[in-house]
Amino acid sequence: MTLIKEFTKGFIKENPVFVMALGLCPTLAVTTSVQNAIGMGLAATFVLVCSNLIISLIKNFIPNKIRIPCYIVVIASFVTIVDMVMEAYVPSLHKNLGLFIPLIVVNCIILGRAEAFAGKNNLIRSFLDGLGMGLGFTLALIIIGGIREILGVGQFFGYNVFPATYKPILAAILAPGAFLIMGVLMGLLNLMKKR
Amino acid sequence: MKYYLTLGFVLLVITVISSGILAYINSFTQPIINENQRIAKEKARMEVMPDAVSFDSLGSFNDETIFTAVDESGNIIGYTFMASLYGYSSHVKTMVGVTTDLKLNRIKIIEQKETPGLGANCVKPEFQELFIEKYEHELLVDKDGGKITSLTGATITTRTIANSIRNGINYLDQLISFQTDTEVLNPDAEVENDSN
Repeated sequence: MTLIKEFTKGFIKENPVFVMALGLCPTLAVTTSVQNAIGMGLAATFVLVCSNLIISLIKNFIPNKIRIPCYIVVIASFVTIVDMVMEAYVPSLHKNLGLFIPLIVVNCIILGRAEAFAGKNNLIRSFLDGLGMGLGFTLALIIIGGIREILGVGQFFGYNVFPATYKPILAAILAPGAFLIMGVLMGLLNLMKKR
Repeated sequence: MKYYLTLGFVLLVITVISSGILAYINSFTQPIINENQRIAKEKARMEVMPDAVSFDSLGSFNDETIFTAVDESGNIIGYTFMASLYGYSSHVKTMVGVTTDLKLNRIKIIEQKETPGLGANCVKPEFQELFIEKYEHELLVDKDGGKITSLTGATITTRTIANSIRNGINYLDQLISFQTDTEVLNPDAEVENDSN
């Protein structure tokens, strides 16, 4: 596979949320607004790229039997570093994203890419894979978050999109709305692929 | 046997290296984080009592200092304290400013990890403005007969904040009346001491 394809495959063809159905817990939990979606997406992308790089570097030293615990240690360390550095140097950003950072550890996209890709491929490919998958994840979060915010609050990125008379569909912003909207989007994507 | 020892050793090396890196980063970020939090609290005190020029400590509540707010001419114009209770998924900490007759001046939510999109909306200014100029008995969610309109889908968070502030005001009330009592009683106490 060419390098450029390695980067772009995460956007649609192998989109972690819509196609591989990975990382659904954070997807459902944080997509109540576009701002949250972007924050979670970018923080996860950073951790994904870093952990892919390190795991690709040390893959030859790790015995096969204990690779999963090793991956988890690497991922958890990066998440903690992001958390501490962000809280110290950009406290305002940490205040908004602080909620989501511990969630990244349990994001199975990161462990999934470490196991399926970075543990078998070289540095450059692992980097591109991590970046592409991370951005694909962010894109999926923004789409779901956008729809839920428009329907559930009547706003997009904090700005009103409907006249004041619009009565928000509260269900869209609660957990059932997340499941419904993600299901419909997955269905639409499958329909498009079949044609 | 030797194989399993190797496995354990590799795992040991990896965890030691990563905990070393984490400890190193923590050693210089932790002081900055503490300093940031101290400044944030100071700023919050100024925000909930904008007319005050200085603060004197009065007592403590929730492990945080209660301050009296003093204006330019040296009069006590109110008090600030930190209200804190467990909400839906986290401790919600609120900096509260009250005037001398225990009427709420302003509040500021300092720390919360409630559900994003629902309870986390409590940091919005529109919500925090609901508390301005309320008395202790009005600090109930509208469902419980009070004057605080609860956040959409987050009655528990709203109730937590209202309850934590009510607790704080009640504590402050006791503290102030206790202090005035002791001031009045002090001369008597001295007399008793003398006679002994």
